[in-house]
Amino acid sequence: MKISRWIYAALVSAAFLGMTDSSYVALHSSQGFLIPCGFAGGCDQVLSSPYARFLGISIAWFGLAFYLTIAATSLFAFFSYPKVLRVSFVASGLAFLISLYLLYLQAFVIRAFCDYCLFSASLVILIFGLHFWARPWQTT
Amino acid sequence: MAKNDNFRKSDFEARPPKSSGGRSVIKPLSVLVVLVVAALSIAFFLTRRGEQAASAQGNPATVLNSKPVITAEGWVKGSPTAKTILVEFGDFQCPSCALAQVKIAEVLKKHEKNLKVVFKQYPMQNVHRNAMLAAQAAEAAGRQAKFWEMSELLFSRQAEWSNVPDPMTFFNKYAAELQLNPDKFRSDVMENEIRNKIYRDILEGQMAQVRSVPTFFLNGNMLQNIKSDVEFQQLIDKAIQSAP
Repeated sequence: MKISRWIYAALVSAAFLGMTDSSYVALHSSQGFLIPCGFAGGCDQVLSSPYARFLGISIAWFGLAFYLTIAATSLFAFFSYPKVLRVSFVASGLAFLISLYLLYLQAFVIRAFCDYCLFSASLVILIFGLHFWARPWQTT
Repeated sequence: MAKNDNFRKSDFEARPPKSSGGRSVIKPLSVLVVLVVAALSIAFFLTRRGEQAASAQGNPATVLNSKPVITAEGWVKGSPTAKTILVEFGDFQCPSCALAQVKIAEVLKKHEKNLKVVFKQYPMQNVHRNAMLAAQAAEAAGRQAKFWEMSELLFSRQAEWSNVPDPMTFFNKYAAELQLNPDKFRSDVMENEIRNKIYRDILEGQMAQVRSVPTFFLNGNMLQNIKSDVEFQQLIDKAIQSAP
């Protein structure tokens, strides 16, 4: 199976945007102080809800770890080892399910949306979708 | 597509991955490092810019906002005669204000005799739908000398009343807990004088370029871009040391 370089480019770009987005939120969350409440509608409510943390850590850090993984695997796949996309495929599937759950929480439990979270969710969907296009399970 | 195929062949298939040794690891690794550094710097830059936007000069640590005068009128904690005055514009529905409350309590514990903390109402109604009513509830409790007690309850149980359609049921419960006169509390909450007082605070904040909550003024200067609790503590320590 041949993987177009555009898929790699898209994966790396999405991972880069994701790293920027999640580290921005993570940096804010770690300050815990002087977070601007005013700009985007429900950011404040979403990011300060109990669901914004997992094991006492802001889930933005987990997001950052995920995007870092995707960036690393797609770069390694592009330069030398296309097989590692299998790892990122599994990771993105997991992230996809988690994103769906987080979207559900925003829509029905917290009843507020946060821009950064929605952006991240669309990146995860994009990354997951790109893996279907790349079909890493067929790589030899 | 043909181009892609060529590229693919030469890059992956013709070359067994393992034989390419160090170079195949160094290349992706170095690109990765560049990407990570770039992403983090952009995020860091955006974090700072959001806070600097409020100041014309963009001076990082503290900015002197000399034009609008911040009065020391409001709800006072600490020493009323202290020379160092910390004014907070706060919103009871704002989670970071609730966190800030804890930090202020720590600072006050340390400088009980040398610091005066003033709370001013700044309910951001466009983002916090119950904030105005909460401010009114705190003011109404203040009429019965329980402003700080009510404010503590409002902050600590923020999650409970923030998103309900009728927060008054909770506020009445808190009033009962604080043994306030329930009838007086209920009528005070809706009183125009209380609402006007809150609007005066908001107006003062707007004149002083308050754009987010909590916003602090230390001896009249807006504190911006505070990166940590330690820095916040240090700024206050310094102000107290240099107080006349």
